[in-house]
Amino acid sequence: MTDPGLAPASDTAEGVADAVWDEMAGGQGRLRPHWTPLMRAMSPVDPDRMAERGDEARRLIRQNGVTYNVYGDPLGLERPWPLDLMPLVLSAEEWAELATGACQRARLLNAVLADLYGPQTLIDAGAVPAPAVFGDPGYLRACRNVPVPRGLWLHLVGFDLGRGPDGTWRVLADRTQAPSGTGYALENRLVIGRVLRDAVRGVGVQPLGPFFQALRDALETLARPDPGEEPRFVLLSPGPFNETYFEHAYLARHLGIPLVEGADLTVRGGTLYLKTIEGLARVHVVLRRLDDDFCDPLELRPDSALGVPGLTAAARTGRVAVANALGTGLLESAAIKRALPDLAGRLLGEPLRLPQSDQWWCGTRAGLGRALAGFDGLVFRPAFAADRSNPLVVADLTRPERERLMAGLRSEPRRFVAETPVALSTSPVWIDGRLQPRAIVLRIYVAGIPGPEGIAWRAMPGGLTRFAPDTGRPVVSMQRGSGSKDTWIPGGGAHADTRPARARGGLGGALPSRLADGLFWLGRYAERADNVLSLLRGVAVRLVDVERPWGDAELLVLRRLMAWQNLWPAELSTLPDTDGRHLAKAVHAALHEPGLPDGVRATLQRLARCASSVRDRLAPDLWRVISDLEQTSGQRARLSPSALLERIETLVLGQAALVGLEEETILRGPAWRFLRLGRWLERAQFLLALVQWLARAAEDPEAGPVVLDLLLELGESASGYRERFAAAPERGPALAHLLIEESNPRSLAFQLGEIARALAQLPPGGPAAEAAAATIAALREDLGRTVPMTLDATFAETLGPMAAALRGLSDLLTRAYFSPAVVGQAV
Amino acid sequence: MIAVRYRIRHLTRYEYAVPVALAHHLVHLWPPSGPRQTVHAAEMRIDPAPAWMEERTDGFGNVGRLLSIEAPHTQLEIAVALDVTVHPGPDATRDPARTPAWETVRDRLREAPDAGSRAACAFALPSTVIPEPAFCADYARPSFPPGRPVGEAARDLAHRIHADFAFDAAATTVSTPPETVLRDRRGVCQDFAHVMIACLRSMGVAGRYVSGYLRTRPPPGQPRLAGADASHAWAGVWCGDAGWLDLDPTNDMPAGPDHVVLAIGRDYHDVSPTRGVILGGGRHGLTIAVDVEPCDA
Repeated sequence: MTDPGLAPASDTAEGVADAVWDEMAGGQGRLRPHWTPLMRAMSPVDPDRMAERGDEARRLIRQNGVTYNVYGDPLGLERPWPLDLMPLVLSAEEWAELATGACQRARLLNAVLADLYGPQTLIDAGAVPAPAVFGDPGYLRACRNVPVPRGLWLHLVGFDLGRGPDGTWRVLADRTQAPSGTGYALENRLVIGRVLRDAVRGVGVQPLGPFFQALRDALETLARPDPGEEPRFVLLSPGPFNETYFEHAYLARHLGIPLVEGADLTVRGGTLYLKTIEGLARVHVVLRRLDDDFCDPLELRPDSALGVPGLTAAARTGRVAVANALGTGLLESAAIKRALPDLAGRLLGEPLRLPQSDQWWCGTRAGLGRALAGFDGLVFRPAFAADRSNPLVVADLTRPERERLMAGLRSEPRRFVAETPVALSTSPVWIDGRLQPRAIVLRIYVAGIPGPEGIAWRAMPGGLTRFAPDTGRPVVSMQRGSGSKDTWIPGGGAHADTRPARARGGLGGALPSRLADGLFWLGRYAERADNVLSLLRGVAVRLVDVERPWGDAELLVLRRLMAWQNLWPAELSTLPDTDGRHLAKAVHAALHEPGLPDGVRATLQRLARCASSVRDRLAPDLWRVISDLEQTSGQRARLSPSALLERIETLVLGQAALVGLEEETILRGPAWRFLRLGRWLERAQFLLALVQWLARAAEDPEAGPVVLDLLLELGESASGYRERFAAAPERGPALAHLLIEESNPRSLAFQLGEIARALAQLPPGGPAAEAAAATIAALREDLGRTVPMTLDATFAETLGPMAAALRGLSDLLTRAYFSPAVVGQAV
Repeated sequence: MIAVRYRIRHLTRYEYAVPVALAHHLVHLWPPSGPRQTVHAAEMRIDPAPAWMEERTDGFGNVGRLLSIEAPHTQLEIAVALDVTVHPGPDATRDPARTPAWETVRDRLREAPDAGSRAACAFALPSTVIPEPAFCADYARPSFPPGRPVGEAARDLAHRIHADFAFDAAATTVSTPPETVLRDRRGVCQDFAHVMIACLRSMGVAGRYVSGYLRTRPPPGQPRLAGADASHAWAGVWCGDAGWLDLDPTNDMPAGPDHVVLAIGRDYHDVSPTRGVILGGGRHGLTIAVDVEPCDA
C-alpha cells in the first residue's frame, strides 16, 4: 500500500524511541493492512476535515454530558471527557487471540478468588505466598466463606494491556473489583460512530451493544427472588464526587437499573432493601462501583460513610448477590501476579495464554535479590492495591529519591513489586492539527455469564484505549491528563450497527426515596433561582432605564428587598440606598458571589449538585441546561447595568428552558410530581413572604405608591393582570389576582391546588402524608376565606399562620417520603 | 498451679440521647473452649431483643455475633454470663529462655514455608489498627539484641512497657492510635497491648491481640491487678514450634490462671467486644461492668 493519501503521518522525531511498536505503521512506515479501510474512509486526513469532525465530537460529548472528575481540580468537578478522533484498530485475527487469552485469564482469576476466599489450598500448597495474601489490606477476612451466587466472583473484569517492541500484548494490570471504563468505551463508540459513520461501516466494526446485553443477562442469573417477587437490581455508586460518576449514571441508564448510594439501601434481617417512596423494596443484586472495603462499615471499614451497614452479613445469608463479589479487589494487587502462570496449570490444567509483564514481588528473599541486582533498570510499584503511591521509574529518580526507595525496599520489601518496564506501543493521535504518535494502554473487558453449563466468559469486542498526554516518559492515567480513543475490531460486517442496543429492562419500580428528595430540592432550588433572578432583573432594568417614572422610589424598595433576601453584600451595607454604582455592584455580587449563600451562584451550584445526585433520571438535555446555568453564573459579567441585565436575561432564558424540559422530558409519575412539588411549594412560600413584606413596606410613605406594581412584577403576574383588567392595578383586584385567582398560574391558590392534586396522586406515605394532605386542605380553606382589601401590616399578620403551615409542609413530605439521608454513626 | 473456675458477668450498656432507628452490631463476647480453658456455660441477654441475629466464625476461630435491632430504642443492654475454667498450662512457653532466637522466627515468618508459620504470619503483618508497625522499631530494638530468644525479648519488652508507660484511663479512648500512646507513654491495657504488638511486628516477629478478662478480686495477700473491673487485653508472641507466649504488659506478667480468653485477633479491630453502626442516636454513652469471681471463693 503506497497510496500517499493513506500514508500515516506518525513521526518519531519527538522523543519517541524508534524501538517502540507503531500500531499503524509497519516496516518502512508502511500502513499496516488492518488500518487501510479506516484511513481510506477518513481520507484525506486534513486539518479542515478533522477540525469539523472535532467540533462534532465535542458537541456530542457536551450534549451527552460525558464528563470525568479530576480530584482536586480547581476548575471544578466535571471535565468534558477527552476523546481523540482516531480510533485504535486491531486486526480481527489478533483480537481473536487476545479475547481467548482474556477469557482464560478471567476464568483463572475467578478460580483463584474462589480458592483464596474458600479452602485456601493454594496457600497451603505454597503456590501463593501466604504473606502476600494475609498482608494485603485487600484481603477481606470477613468475606472468607461468604457464598457467591453461581460461583461468579467476577461479573466484569478489566485488563490493562500494553504492547511491547516485539509486538506482543502483555497484561500490565488486572482490574477485578469494579472496573471502570465500559461506559466510557460505549460513549466513545456512540460519538465516533456518528463522527466517522462511513468509516465504521467501511471497516465493519464489531458492535458493543450485545456485550452489555450479556452483562445485564448475567445479573439476572444472580438474582434469587422468593416466590412471587420480581428481582430488583441496583447500581451502587460512591456518589457525584467519584471520578467516574458520569459512567455510573450512564451505565445505570443503559442497563436499566437504578443508580443508588449507600444511604439508599438498608439491611433488615439479613436482607437488603432499597428505601423507596412506597417503603422498603427488596434488592436481589447489587452491581457495585464502590471499593470493596467501603461497602460495609460494620464488618469491613468502620470509617466508611459510603457503604451499607450489614451488607456483608446479607451476602453471607445468600439473599443478595454483589457483583463483583466482596473481596475481589485482592487480585488487583500485583504481589501474586507472578504466580499466575503456575496457577493456570494447577487450577485449569492449561498454560497461561495471555503474556503478562515481568513483575515480581519483593517480599521473598529471591524477589528482593533480583530487584536489588537489577535496580537501575526497574520500575517499582506498590505491591498492594490499597497503597495508592505512584510507580517509581528508577531511571527517572533523583539521587535522594533513589536512596529513599532503596532504603524502603530494604526495610519493607513486602510493600514493593518490581517490574521490567514495557516500552509501550504508540498510535497516532490528532493533536495540534496533525497526527502525532503517543504511547497507549488498552483496557479490555470480560464478562462472566452463568449458564446451565457453568460460567461462559465473553470479551467485549473493543475496549478503552488511553494515550499518554505527551511524548517522553509515557504516563497513561486519566487523572493525569491522558486522553481516550475508541477501539475498533473489524469483522462485524458492513452493516454493523453503530448504535449500542439498549439493554432491556426499565427503571420501573418504586422511586428511591433519595431520588424523590433530590428531585424535590431540584425543583425548590430552580424556583428559588427564578425568584432571585426576577428581583435582580427588577433592579437591573431600572438601572438601565434611568428615566423611568418612580424609578428612585422603586429602587429604594428593591434595595431593601435585596437586603431582606440576604442578597446585599455586607461590605456595601453602609452605602447610600439608591446610588446606581453600588446597586450595580450589589447585583453583580448577588449574581456571581458563591459566598452569598442565597445568591444566584450559590443557588445554582446547589441546583447542579441536586441534579448530579439524580442524574440517571434526567434527560441529557435537561442535565446540560442545568450545567450551563451553573457555568454561566460562574463567569463574571462586566460591572455595567446593561451587561448585568444581559447576563440576567441569559440566565432567565436558561431557567425557562429548564421548565420546558421538565415538562417535556419527564414522565408524569412520582419523579415529576416531586420535582413540581418542590417548585410549587417554593413559589407559594416566596409569594406569601413577598406579599407580607411588601404589605409592611407599604406603610412607608416613600414606598407606598410603588408597592403594588412591584408586587405584580415580582410575583410574575403583571402581564396576566393587565390582560384581565386592562387598567392600572388596584389593591383589591391585584391582591386577589396574586392570591386567590385560580386561573393565574402564579397565584397562591394555583400552587396550593396543584400541590393538593399531586399529593393525592402520590403513593400512600403514612400519617405524615395524611397530615400533609390535611395541611393543604386547611390552607386552601383559609385562603378561600381571605378577602384581601388592604395592603398593610395588619394584612401581613393575617397571612402569618398560612406561611407557617407551608413551612411545615416541607417537613411532613420529608418524613413521609424521603429517606432521612443520615449516615450511620459508629459506636 | 491449679485450675480455677470463674463465674463472669459482663454488662454493656449503650445510652442514646435520641432514639436509634436501626442498629447493627457485631459482638465478640463468646469465649472459645480449648486446651487452656473450658467453657461450661454461656448466656447472652440482649435488651431490646434483636430482630435478627447470626453467628459467624472468623478466620482466627473467634465466634462473632451479628445482630440488628430494628425497633426505635434509647438504650441497648447486652448482658453475658459465663462459667469458665482456666487450666494451668499446657503452656509450652513457660520458659522463655528456651524459645528460638528472634531472628530465626523472623526469617521463618517472612516466607512462611510451613503450616505453622503460615498460620502465624498474619500476625507479623500490618493490620487495621497498626497499619505501619515501623513506628515502634526504635523503641523495640533494645529488647532485641542479636541471638536473644524471642520469648525473652518479648518478656523484656513487656517489662519495659510496664515500666515506661503510665496506666491512665483518661489519656486515651478506644480509637487512640498506638502512635499517640507511644509518644505520650500513657494509656490502658488495650493501648499497651497494641504498642507491644507493634514493637514485635516492627522487628519482623508475630504479635497477637488477646481480648479477655482478669480476675476481679485478687487471692488473699496479693495485690489487685489493673484492668480487673473492665474487659482486659494483652499480647502474645509467636515462638516458632514452641507456640504462643501470652504476656500482659499492663501487669508485667505472663497470662496465667487469672486471665480468661475471650477472643484472639491481630488487633482490637478484629475482636472488639462490641461495635456497631446506628442510625440516629445523637450523643451516646457507654457503660461497661465486668465481674470475674472464682466459683469456690
